[in-house]
Parts: sequence; C-alpha cells; structure tokens
Amino acid sequence: MDESTLIARVRAGDSAAERTLYDAHVDRVYRLAFRLAGDDALAQDFTQETFIRAFDRLGSFRGEAAFSTWLHTITTTVVLNGLRKVKRLRQRETDIDDAQAIGVRKRESEPDLKMRLTKAIDELPEGYRTVFVMHDVEGYTHEEIGAALGVETGTSKAQLSRARAKLRVALADFAGEWTT
Amino acid sequence: MTDQHEDPKFDAWLKDVARTTYHAPRTTPREEMWARLAAERQRRAGRVIELRPWMRWAVAAAAVLVLGIGIGRWTVRQQPRGTTTVTPLAAVNDSSRDLAYQVAATQYLSRTEALLTSFRADARPDARDAARFATQARDLLTTAQLMLDSPAGDDPRMRALLEDLELVLVQISQLGAKGEVQEADLIRQGMNQSNVLPKLRSAIPAGPVPVRTQGVL
Repeated sequence: MDESTLIARVRAGDSAAERTLYDAHVDRVYRLAFRLAGDDALAQDFTQETFIRAFDRLGSFRGEAAFSTWLHTITTTVVLNGLRKVKRLRQRETDIDDAQAIGVRKRESEPDLKMRLTKAIDELPEGYRTVFVMHDVEGYTHEEIGAALGVETGTSKAQLSRARAKLRVALADFAGEWTT
Repeated sequence: MTDQHEDPKFDAWLKDVARTTYHAPRTTPREEMWARLAAERQRRAGRVIELRPWMRWAVAAAAVLVLGIGIGRWTVRQQPRGTTTVTPLAAVNDSSRDLAYQVAATQYLSRTEALLTSFRADARPDARDAARFATQARDLLTTAQLMLDSPAGDDPRMRALLEDLELVLVQISQLGAKGEVQEADLIRQGMNQSNVLPKLRSAIPAGPVPVRTQGVL
C-alpha cells in the first residue's frame, strides 16, 4: 500500500492504518527527539506529542511535500519548543542549587572525549546544534532540514559549517585523533 | 557551501564520533509509546470544556440573546400579510435594514418617557432639578432632531410623535435658564393637551429596553 492510500485510510478513521503509519516513521522521530533531548523520557513525550498532532492535523496535510518532511516539521517544532520549556525549568533549579553550593564547589576532573564532545555540542547555539544533529548525526539532507526548520538550504549549510568550526575549536585538545 | 575553516578529516572524525557517542538512543520503545499515545488521545478526546462561573453567565446570556433574536425573526416571518393588528410605532418597519433604527428609536422613546414622567410628577422642581431636567432634555432634543433626519423619521406616525416631543423638549431645555415654576406648569399643561405622554407610551414596544445603540443614528 502506498503512503497516500495509507494517509487516506487514516483520515477515514482506520486505526490499523494509523498504526502502520506510526510504525513507518516512529524510529526516525524518536531518534531525532532523543538526540536533541538527550533523555529517554523527554524523547518519548516528544514523540507521543508529535504523533498526536500529526493524526489530529492530518486533514491539513495536502501532500505537496513528502509526509516524512511534514512529520519532521512537527517533530522539530515539538522538540525545540519542549526543550525551551525544560531549559527554563532547569535554569531555575540550577540557580537555586548554585546559590546553595556557593563556597563548596570543587574543581571537576578533566572529562574524556565523550563528555567533552557532548558538552561542546550541547553548548552550540540552538540553530547550529539542530542542524548539526540532523545532518551529521542523524543523516538528514539539507533539503529535509530546510523544509523541517523552515529555512533555506543555504542557511542550513552555513549553520552546519559554523557548528563544525566551533566544535573544532572546542575539541582542539583531541586534534591528534583526526590528524593521524 | 565552502568554508575557510573546512577540514574534511575533522568533519569525518566528528561525524563518526558524534553518531556513536552523542545522546545515542536506545531501541525505539514502539509498543510502549503506542500504548501511551492511544491512551493520551482517548483522554484528550473525552476532555470537556470547563467553564468558569463568569463564563457560564456570559454563555447563558448569549444563548438567551440568540434565542430571543431567533424567536423574533421567526415570529415576524409567521405574521400573515394583511393582518391589521395594532403595532407599536417603534416596531412598524420589520426589515432587517431598519432594525438598528427601530432599536435606537425604542431606546430613545424609553429615555424620553422616563424624563417626561419624572418632569410631570415633580410639580415644583427646585433650581437643581430644573437644571437636571434641562440637561437631559437638551441631550434628548439633539437625538430627536437626528432621528427626524434618519429613516426612522420617514414613518408619518413616528415623525408626528418626534415633532411633538421636539416641541416639549425645547421648552424643558430652557427651563433651567428661566427657573420659573409657572413656566414648568405651562409645559405640563401643553403636554396634557397634546397627549404626548400616552402617545409616547403606545409607541414603545412591550418588553425590556434594548441597549447599546449609540452611534446608530
């Protein structure tokens, strides 16, 4: 069954078709949500919200773009908005913890490559990080990224280039890893 | 896009390391998420809109208003042609085009009736009351003159009534300046002789006075 037929059946209220459509796309949605959120519970919440919105709004999907493109637009919107809320909440908690920890802070031990890499990517500006994760980590094309984020393909390419440049500076201590 | 900092070796290494280490997801929990998804959709579908107390009043008022308009329109449509029932002046023209003017006329006539009734009952108004009557009369006089020039003035009965009211209101509006009890008595006599108040009352349709018609005329 092709996807347009499947979508028509979902619109007609076929719950089996809903499950088929879900199965066809859930891996990619969940993986992207997990990569961006870095947390399984959040990734599941975002995936769930993405599919709820997609099923609710399927009537507005006109088929001008691929369904996956439309779905990833919803995914990135849900994830990025969700992360902004989480970040605000965590910032409040951090502020309280910091206030309580004044005077007792210890120097952290030198992190290994994985920790440094994770920290460096996490600290990228939101746009850079999103494009980097989508392209370099999850393998989306610039066309898919542009469509999902509502930006030009050139913007996606430029942001990826700047993200890599920042990461190279942040990971300069590990230069031997890629020059050899 | 090329970049002056481009380094293919670094890019390849970064991609490889990031894919294996950066927030590496576990196997997709399909069934678990599908179950949650179905439950959440069911919960949202069954959710009812909860109204706050003030919203309930607003909804009730809106419902009554809509019902009233519906009944009114239905009643007008049901009235057979050629029926010779006596109709209040303010409700003579039943076309929707003139509905706003009818509402404005009804409100205006009600306000005028209140003033004239109050004026007639007050046999010996003091200077302050006389000034208050005069102020109100001037306001209503302006409206009467506007109404005479509006479609409401096209109806002969309404026009005659408005002209009578205009005359009385002119007299009352000058009362504050003169401040004479005798003058107030003369106005009352004129009102009685012209039967302006009974005419006014018969011109007002039964029921509550419509509101919010400022700017219609």
